[in-house]
Amino acid sequence: MTVITLAIDGRSVQVESGATILDAARKLGIDVPTLCHRPGYAANTSCMACVVRVNGQNRLLPACATPAGQGMIVESESPQVRLSRKIALELLLADHAGDCQAPCTNVCPAHMDIPSMIRHIEAGRMRDAIVTIKDKIALPAVLGRICPELCEKGCRRGLKDQPVSICQLKRHAADVDLASPEPYLPSCLPDSGKKIAVIGAGPAGLAAAWYLAQQGHACVLIDQHPLAGGNLRYAIDRALLPEAVLDAEINLIRKLGVQFQPGQRVGQDISLPDLRRQFDAVLIAVGAIDATGAALLGIELLGNGLKIDKQTMMTSLPGVFATGAALTPYRHAIRAVGAGRLAADAITSFLAGRPIALEYSPFSVRLGVLDIGEKTTFLAGSTDDARVASFPAGLSSDQAITESARCLSCDCGKLQECSLRRWASAYGAEPGHYRMPRRPFHRTDGPRIPCVSAPAQDADETVVYESGKCIACGMCVQITAKAREPLGLSFIGRGFQVRIAGALDAPLTESLRKVAQECVSACPTGALALRKH
Amino acid sequence: MSRMRTQPLGSQESDGPSSAPPVDLAFVDDAVQRLGNRPEALIPILQSIQAHYRYLPRQALERLSHLAQIDPATISGVATFYAGFRHRPAGKHTVRVCHGTACHVKGIERVEDSLRRHLQLEGEQDTDTHGTFTVERVGCLGCCTLAPVVQVDNVTYGHRTPEGIVYALKDFLAMENQRARAAAQVAVNGGGLLTKLRNIFAGPEPSAAENLPEIRIGCGSCCVAGGADSVRLALEQAIRNSKAAARVTAVGCSGMCHQTPLVEIAGANGGVNPTYAKVSAIEATDIVRRHFKSNGFFGRLRTAASQALDHITGQADAVALQRHSIDVRDGPVCGFLGPQIRIATEDSGAYDPLDLDAYIAHHGFAASRQCAEELEPADVIDMVLESGLRGRGGAGFPTGQKWSRVRSAVSEDGTKYVICNGDEGDPGAFMDRMLLESFPFRVMEGMIIAAYAVGAAEAIFYIRHEYPLAVRRIRQAIELCNQRGILGPDALGDGQPLAMRIVEGAGAFVCGEETALIASIEGRRGQPRLKPPYPADRGLWDKPTCINNVETYSLTPWIIRRGPAAFAAIGTANSKGTKVFALTGKIRRGGLIEVPMGVSIRQIVDDIGGGVADGRRFKAVQIGGPSGGCIPAELADLPVDFESLSQAGAIMGSGGLVVLDDRDCMVDIARYFLRFTQAESCGKCSFCRMGTKALLDILDRLCQGKGKPSDLKELEQLSSAVKSGSICGLGQTAPNPVLTTLRYFHDEYEAHLKGHCPAGKCKGLIRYLVTDQCFGCTRCAQVCPVNAIPLLPYQKHTIDDHLCTRCDMCRTSCPVDAIEVV
Repeated sequence: MTVITLAIDGRSVQVESGATILDAARKLGIDVPTLCHRPGYAANTSCMACVVRVNGQNRLLPACATPAGQGMIVESESPQVRLSRKIALELLLADHAGDCQAPCTNVCPAHMDIPSMIRHIEAGRMRDAIVTIKDKIALPAVLGRICPELCEKGCRRGLKDQPVSICQLKRHAADVDLASPEPYLPSCLPDSGKKIAVIGAGPAGLAAAWYLAQQGHACVLIDQHPLAGGNLRYAIDRALLPEAVLDAEINLIRKLGVQFQPGQRVGQDISLPDLRRQFDAVLIAVGAIDATGAALLGIELLGNGLKIDKQTMMTSLPGVFATGAALTPYRHAIRAVGAGRLAADAITSFLAGRPIALEYSPFSVRLGVLDIGEKTTFLAGSTDDARVASFPAGLSSDQAITESARCLSCDCGKLQECSLRRWASAYGAEPGHYRMPRRPFHRTDGPRIPCVSAPAQDADETVVYESGKCIACGMCVQITAKAREPLGLSFIGRGFQVRIAGALDAPLTESLRKVAQECVSACPTGALALRKH
Repeated sequence: MSRMRTQPLGSQESDGPSSAPPVDLAFVDDAVQRLGNRPEALIPILQSIQAHYRYLPRQALERLSHLAQIDPATISGVATFYAGFRHRPAGKHTVRVCHGTACHVKGIERVEDSLRRHLQLEGEQDTDTHGTFTVERVGCLGCCTLAPVVQVDNVTYGHRTPEGIVYALKDFLAMENQRARAAAQVAVNGGGLLTKLRNIFAGPEPSAAENLPEIRIGCGSCCVAGGADSVRLALEQAIRNSKAAARVTAVGCSGMCHQTPLVEIAGANGGVNPTYAKVSAIEATDIVRRHFKSNGFFGRLRTAASQALDHITGQADAVALQRHSIDVRDGPVCGFLGPQIRIATEDSGAYDPLDLDAYIAHHGFAASRQCAEELEPADVIDMVLESGLRGRGGAGFPTGQKWSRVRSAVSEDGTKYVICNGDEGDPGAFMDRMLLESFPFRVMEGMIIAAYAVGAAEAIFYIRHEYPLAVRRIRQAIELCNQRGILGPDALGDGQPLAMRIVEGAGAFVCGEETALIASIEGRRGQPRLKPPYPADRGLWDKPTCINNVETYSLTPWIIRRGPAAFAAIGTANSKGTKVFALTGKIRRGGLIEVPMGVSIRQIVDDIGGGVADGRRFKAVQIGGPSGGCIPAELADLPVDFESLSQAGAIMGSGGLVVLDDRDCMVDIARYFLRFTQAESCGKCSFCRMGTKALLDILDRLCQGKGKPSDLKELEQLSSAVKSGSICGLGQTAPNPVLTTLRYFHDEYEAHLKGHCPAGKCKGLIRYLVTDQCFGCTRCAQVCPVNAIPLLPYQKHTIDDHLCTRCDMCRTSCPVDAIEVV
């Protein structure tokens, strides 16, 4: 076997003859985006997200299909190549019609994965439900009582009757957890040796501390009041939010090792410069602030809040961050909780010496408004139960299950695995860059196949094909052909109109008899996905 | 093809007027029996099924999947890839509306609008409720000098207007009735007219007496579309009636397509051959009478009598006949023919294209014989290399190098192929059609030479299905050559065989790309693949394959016969020899021309073409079709060769040359080509599939006055991404029309941003106004198809802008030019 030596981005690499540029790049650890490539199959050269420039030519070549050549000079991460890849991804996104995150998640200021939470509740997996919630919301029992239900404004179930009672379900899951013998405590990373002062023990500060502690940082909450909770304790009607609930959730945060220093006002009792000397980072989460407060801290004011760099949440003082209502006044605690988590991310990156890349809202393509026909398809198979009216007492377990079943699971079945989403997010591709009329929403059920990964009670999953999400890469066509499916999948039409469908108009249940599982896992988007029962 | 967004499932369901009629599937069994059950038979089988049922019934495809060794996914994939295949029942007749460049600039869109209105077709509907006509859009019918053109079944109607299209349909149905009556008569009389008609479509009758003077009539597709068939019938009838000592010969294209039907009298008057242009059937008798004496007393008597009668009824109009008489020494004809050098089109219009003896008498097959008898394959390749010949298909790759690579490529079992790329799809180009129709033997001879040089035993013509006459002629030419042993077991000498066959395309422009063409021959979707490997190394069935364009093959016999130096003496430093162009658009004398490389655009437009028609201003030439670009009039002195054109942002392409005048909007032209490439993209790679769509969307917005200033920058950025990132030539060149118009006509883009179309073309940016010239003749009100003009006799008319569809019919019908576009 001949050995070929080539250079990618100035680094030399050796591969055996027959290897592609992609193989060589991966050997160097260069992460080249690919959507339509699968080992063991011929290159589809369809997505063109893997283009590289070879020997300075104008033409770009797909790395997945171009054999590595002796002495080749390849550019993979140059600005021109990256721009072309971004354009390729944006072109694919322009005709990719579907929701990544469910509309409720998009609307939720904390971007909690609501459909997953609901599916867990429906299946009785209350621990999984609280884990999902607390991944994004540190104080769900509290918010379950005072949240303005913003997420429900996005709920597609409203197209049929009324939105799912998301807020009550979240409260239910949190209440069940708090009432359990051992409420959920996330595991924390080993001690990082870093110390962080969080000024203000309101919703933003508490949330930040919750997430910072999980990262292994030693966290001290400093507050002028005798008790933690900030506005949640001192500005909210007790009838709405009993103190016991607030105490219970704060207690969990303290159980993670977060220290509380009550009765200290920064600027009077301790100075910010002192804190900066004693701690590796300082987070200001003091709530709404005025000029006097800002002057006390010695931080510039911009508009109605402290001035920060939006990309990093850092103030002009290195290592001093600010979050929550200290930046811009708002009415809803859920926003503060979301902002607290973001600040924790920023500080963690900062302490690790990584560049701070804040994800204010996760990458998500949106399907948008549905027309009448699409609504019918979308609502097909949904239960007819009416929304359970919210009770001050909260939902019973039976009510929670009935209510959960009303959820339409609008999120993408491949939310976490989707290659298009992963690379679009990594390359900063904008879904709306090229405006085109949206492809119609269309969903068909394929065969039911045994579940391979999830718990045993989900014995079956259904293959679901959402044609709007298909990027016509042809992987599934190759897989069904290679497996000699009696019917298989085929390209239908050509050019911009090209679609994937069952051969000879066969339904998906007929077309995918042998390799449904492989097609689903090979599909780079959520076009072919699984739905649990 | 359908502009509808295909529904993902159930897309092949029939929703035509008669949904899913019961189908007798015996034909499918028969087709598989005849054509084979291997994957490569798939496209011919589908074509045969479609010809039989007029669409592809799903049951037929299911039956096929049971009978043939072809998997259902391939059947579905192929059946929906090619635009030639329908999945819904079609009407009794098909109306093909040509959307070639020449037709576009001459207003085919308005003709189509009118046609659809007449047939009352709504939205995506393509067949009228009676099931009589199905309307299809085609890329280009290759009758560009007759633009705008529609074809009803096999009958071509040129120079259509929004009103004229309605007449064409009526005429077609009237003819249809006549044919039906004639057929009924034949059934009774046992032959006659129908046989005659069949002969016309099958080719010329065997020539009778050898030494008789000839009346030559051009019978290329353009000529036939111009009415050459009926003229020919009339001439034959006139000779029979007068018993004149003459014979009629249907000859190939002379290139003077603007003059069709063209009749030449040869061998009667010695030196000069009188020629008549734009002849009609009525004039046939006069022509015969003028040049040939009747034989026999009764004949003369009858002639005299009928002359007298004609005189009385006023049918014979000597003046009218004089009007059509042209002399090749006349200025215009001299201008048209003057700068031309004929190599690929040598002896044009001199003999019947299928007269093998005539071809041989004109040095035909001398070069291929010379190769087989005197030259080694390496010598042949050296000669082609020395001649400097570069491929005429578009990219201009040196032919000799390609042949040499195929020759040296390793094939385990020794199999190599020669393919002739006759999938000429560029709108505005019809050179290859003309060469195939008029010089079938020459193209074949070029392929024989190539087969000898590279060591192939099989040569394949790939011809697009829109060229039925070309397919028929090549088929007959192959048969004739097989009979004579020019092809067959000893075709290449020393017992080396060469077989030739035809594969017909099924309606996919992208199959002009060589790897897509090969996929199509193999019975797959015509999707290009990444090169290398090149077909020279791994082509048809993974064997080394020599694939060249029609014109390239046509040039090689001359090169061998006259020597490479003679060829290299013509042209410029890097572009040798001649190039055939289809000269169309806003030009006085359109047609097919063959000129030496290096002549200037101005020479072509002014000297050969006689300048821009109708006193308009010459604005630009679009050269190279969808892959080419627009060269502005300011650069008209640019020499036409590979390098100069590519520096100017265009390409030689296959040779379409469409002249544009000041009434042509350059943003619209860019949009026109993008619409074409977007519809013809195979859909494989993202840059082409989505990129051309995104470009088209921006251009659509600009033409509707909805553009944003950032759009121009976006057009440039996206164009360069599509150019550099696409897999094949289609995507890599698709942005050229956008880039050249942006480069040379930036001001027009700017104007569109401000909501103004300087050429008055973009429907969304213009209005129709009645000026004070109007004297109330009511003609506009009568022709308006949407009643946007109230009928006001003797008063100035007005146009309701909300109702107006910009069909242009009022303007063209106004006798005093009182309607203005603003």
